[in-house]
Amino acid sequence: MEAIQTADLTKHYRTGLLNKKNINALEKVSLSVEQGSIFGLLGPNGAGKTTFVKLLLSIAFPTSGTASVLGYPIGQRALKEQCGYLPESHKYPGFLTATDTLIFFGRLNGLPETALKDKAKYLLELVGLKDWADVKTKKFSKGMLQRLGLAQALVNDPKLLFLDEPTDGVDPVGRKEIRDILVNLKNAGTTIFLNSHLLSEIEMICDNVAILKKGCVVRTGSIADLTTQKLIYNIQLSAQIPEDTKVNLSHKHFSLEFKDTNLAATLNDKSELNSIIDTLRADGIGIEGVTQQKMSLEDYFIQLMKEENRQ
Amino acid sequence: MRFWGMFRFTIGETIRRGVLIFYFCVATCFLIFFSLGVGQSAENPGVITIFGSEFAHESMPGLNVAEFMLIQLHSSSVFWIVLFGIFGVAGLIPNMLEKGTIDLFLSKPLTRTELLLARSLGAATGIAVNLVYFFAGIWLIFGLKAGVWHWGFLSSVIYVVYAFACLFSIVAVAGLFTRSAGFSILIAFSFVLISWLLELRESLLFLISDNPVYHWILDAFYYITPQFNAMLSNSSRVIGSNPLSLSPPQFTFMPYIYSFFSASLLYGLALWYFSRRDY
Repeated sequence: MEAIQTADLTKHYRTGLLNKKNINALEKVSLSVEQGSIFGLLGPNGAGKTTFVKLLLSIAFPTSGTASVLGYPIGQRALKEQCGYLPESHKYPGFLTATDTLIFFGRLNGLPETALKDKAKYLLELVGLKDWADVKTKKFSKGMLQRLGLAQALVNDPKLLFLDEPTDGVDPVGRKEIRDILVNLKNAGTTIFLNSHLLSEIEMICDNVAILKKGCVVRTGSIADLTTQKLIYNIQLSAQIPEDTKVNLSHKHFSLEFKDTNLAATLNDKSELNSIIDTLRADGIGIEGVTQQKMSLEDYFIQLMKEENRQ
Repeated sequence: MRFWGMFRFTIGETIRRGVLIFYFCVATCFLIFFSLGVGQSAENPGVITIFGSEFAHESMPGLNVAEFMLIQLHSSSVFWIVLFGIFGVAGLIPNMLEKGTIDLFLSKPLTRTELLLARSLGAATGIAVNLVYFFAGIWLIFGLKAGVWHWGFLSSVIYVVYAFACLFSIVAVAGLFTRSAGFSILIAFSFVLISWLLELRESLLFLISDNPVYHWILDAFYYITPQFNAMLSNSSRVIGSNPLSLSPPQFTFMPYIYSFFSASLLYGLALWYFSRRDY
């Protein structure tokens, strides 16, 4: 079963009191997220990432299209009972301590009163706020509030966790800790849906991503699928290539770059790789490895946005 | 459990608000003041002392001094307590609607109806706690120190809380539509003023014009909105008749009944709007 399944999910807003304007926040978004995976939703500001999550959690209502979460149509109480959510800009009542905040949100999730204190203690330890348990949240830094937000989202042991910019304002050590928590949750079977601008983090932990632009999905796939440049290969050689071999190879219309014992080849067709290997072997050059060149998710994202802007 | 979780949280939020903490301090000062000033004559238990002056329970025929004091205290304090109350709770709905808060609340397995009702009930209960503190305090002071256990005075709290809950329907609608605590306060106070004017429509507003349509509009407005002023006036009649009034009006449940329907209508409007909004 898919954790999230949407079909043509559309959201149009009307803004302005007198001069009404239509804003197409989402346009026919069809996505599916596998259970037990970490899914990243990327996109520039205003692409519709937060709106998408809000529709799934009935914080906003779709204009058209359908969606189901954990098998339930959106809007059902049973769905929310099994989801955790950390919004992008979350506010907690400043007069409550960290423990009281988690107890309060535990109550809203319908947890039994007897389990709340132990649950709060466990979660505060998990997110590294054990020593701040009895401090009022108005004294918390942004990073600490972010950690508390993550604990709040986990209070009901969700099967599906929605996180909107979870590491925003968190220091590098904290980010690593949050990443580790998310990976552990994934290993325990929790599905995680992540909205983030930090593409390096998405790249590190997400299995699949979708890229939104102006409310439309422009790419979906695994990180490997999106970032692997299919026809660029790096060939590691046992020695530097002699000039004769370079000449032999360059006659074959490949785009080649030689650097010490590395050869980067941009091909027109995958079969050309065999031709290069044959030439190298014929000239007695040992091959230590062949890898497909990858680009970072950030580079891929920027390249894609440029392409989309040109269209 | 979820509903009560939000309800408990709202009471806590109400009590911790600065305005109500100020109210609590002022109320405490009044209670100390009265506890020092009210007493019973040592020689004659039938005589109460109020700031040094001695009064028999029935100094004049038909005038019960303690009851008279309690009526005056009730009439003069209720308006101020409600004033503090509006300042204290007008921000509850707009605060709930703030970005980052409403997202969190709506993502929980709590329906929008439960959420709004828990907030409204919590606000009324928070105010009730503050009212009971002052009124029960005064009641205890008169009971323990002067031997006057006036149950009517204590029970009048129920009517004031009910009136406040009806007034909060205006605050809830204003808060949902404007998302501003300032506007909610402004609208609530405007309504209190309008309610007072509508109460006096026959002796004041009808004099402006004889046009029956104008009269009908004022009557209609009076009956479809919570009769806040009438409810507060009636709440003091639970204590007793004001001896200074030549023809004291009798206590009637009618303003409470009319206000129940108009407040229900307003809460219904608030729920309808809240359940359809995108946040």
